[in-house]
Amino acid sequence: MKKSVAVMIVFALVALSVLSFSKVASAEEIKMVGVITKIDIAGKDAKTATATLKDNKTEKLVEITINDDLTLDKFKDHRIVVGDEIRCKYEVIDGKNVSKLFRKTAGC
Amino acid sequence: MKLTVTISSALLAVLCAAGVWGAEHPGKSEIEKNGYKGPATCEECHPGTTKGFIDSVHWKHASKVDNVSNLDPKKEYGMKNRIYTMCNGNDIVNNLKEIPKNAEGKSKFTGCNTCHPGNHVSDVGSTGPEAENAIDCLVCHSTDYDFRQRKPFKNEKGQVVMGQDRSTKAALAIAKPTVKNCMVCHEAAGGGVLVKRGFSFTKETDAHAAKGMVCVDCHKAKNHKIPTGFDPNNWANDGVRVACTDCHGEKPHKGLSAAYNNHTSKIACQTCHIPRTGGAVAKDFTVWEKGGDGFYEPTTLKQEANATAPVYAWYNKTVRNEQHFIGPNGSRKDGKSKIYPFKIYMGKAFYDKKTGNLLSMDFAPPMSNGNARAGVESAARTLGMKNPADIAKNAVPGWQTIYFGSNHLVTKSKALNCINCHGVNGVINFKDLGYSDKEIKKLTNPEIYFNQLIEKQKEDW
Repeated sequence: MKKSVAVMIVFALVALSVLSFSKVASAEEIKMVGVITKIDIAGKDAKTATATLKDNKTEKLVEITINDDLTLDKFKDHRIVVGDEIRCKYEVIDGKNVSKLFRKTAGC
Repeated sequence: MKLTVTISSALLAVLCAAGVWGAEHPGKSEIEKNGYKGPATCEECHPGTTKGFIDSVHWKHASKVDNVSNLDPKKEYGMKNRIYTMCNGNDIVNNLKEIPKNAEGKSKFTGCNTCHPGNHVSDVGSTGPEAENAIDCLVCHSTDYDFRQRKPFKNEKGQVVMGQDRSTKAALAIAKPTVKNCMVCHEAAGGGVLVKRGFSFTKETDAHAAKGMVCVDCHKAKNHKIPTGFDPNNWANDGVRVACTDCHGEKPHKGLSAAYNNHTSKIACQTCHIPRTGGAVAKDFTVWEKGGDGFYEPTTLKQEANATAPVYAWYNKTVRNEQHFIGPNGSRKDGKSKIYPFKIYMGKAFYDKKTGNLLSMDFAPPMSNGNARAGVESAARTLGMKNPADIAKNAVPGWQTIYFGSNHLVTKSKALNCINCHGVNGVINFKDLGYSDKEIKKLTNPEIYFNQLIEKQKEDW
């Protein structure tokens, strides 16, 4: 009896930790591939921009906030434009989807 | 008037030749006044440069190659014509063009020579005044280039033309190439960002970038001949080479680290200072996956920069080039080799059933409908092979292993130390490198490094 209770407790703890970990992982980083439908950037000196991606899987529109200089520069000189397919990782911070990786899927 | 222009041009040429400008390129007022007229404007101060450039690998995408086996020493090889499995197409068979419409009725322009710095009418390896005038100087030299202009389109003759930004605005922002200029092409080579060599050159990922250096600080060009290293998979070269020792010398370590200098005759700098690699590890050109835009791409297993461990091998800077293998020659005993790190990549593509030779592919058919064999047939037809339909039908899928040089992602703080290699579970496989069991026992004994690391430990703490 004691043994089966102990086994159940261990099983419950393992299950709980797995579930907790999965929840944290999915909350931290979301991955998607989608096509850019809109880019909003305020001029040459902009330190932030938003791009709207149409998720290939769900077809939902997702607005991504981009703060990294390399990607902003690609918006400014139009190396990344509307219609490009993007592989994106983002985190939800203060209600915004903040980009952690924003790359064109295509190459030569 | 003409005399004034000639005198000012001559003065500019003298200033340019003397290299007396600082951050700003001289001649700004001339360009503002006269506008930018393409390479002709550059030639006013840099006479002969366009002729030199069209004789470079960046224009020809090929050169004679003298360190790779199974090549004809009289012919030139490079992106123009190579057949291998990172880029199963090349400039010839996968020439920039409008591909057939996909199932959604959409087409697009694509091809290996999209990055060629001409206008495509004057294409890879073209020569003469028309070619010289087609050079897109600003795509490499301007920091204010508008890439909306650099798009392919069809002209009135039906030719596919690559557009260029030849605006005065872009010309006023000329300088020596920045990292961005180089990465416009080199970042997304091989089918996507960081796919081919898998390195990013940022202050977070490379010690040289962290010091504010740019690509051309090491790859310092002379007459547009750009030095390269000896990556076993990068054959074309301008006849000039770059090495870590050019700046750092043969004995770069000082103080308590000086013992590492004993290694430099047998171990390349990269081995300790580039402990990680990245990019695509495998790609399958026989199966193409449909993307969200309705076009297909070869199935590719991608990894981030610094995501994978390199493989270490002896390398004497000559290359074994076979149908299923491209990689380093070398041995412990040839007196020329050093241990280098490599990124291992494996690519699957079609081989000719009769000859066993690797076949190349025109990406246009599979990109529009996923039919990889149609790509093989089209390439075989372009190359003038007999019975291209039969070749494609009977082609046999197979894998090729490629060793890529690992020459970026340089680190000082995370460089391998004694234990990383000489520990019993170290990163170096001494057995594979030709050492006997007796030697390995000695090489993995703390006696080798114990006292040195104790001293270092005292210094650190």
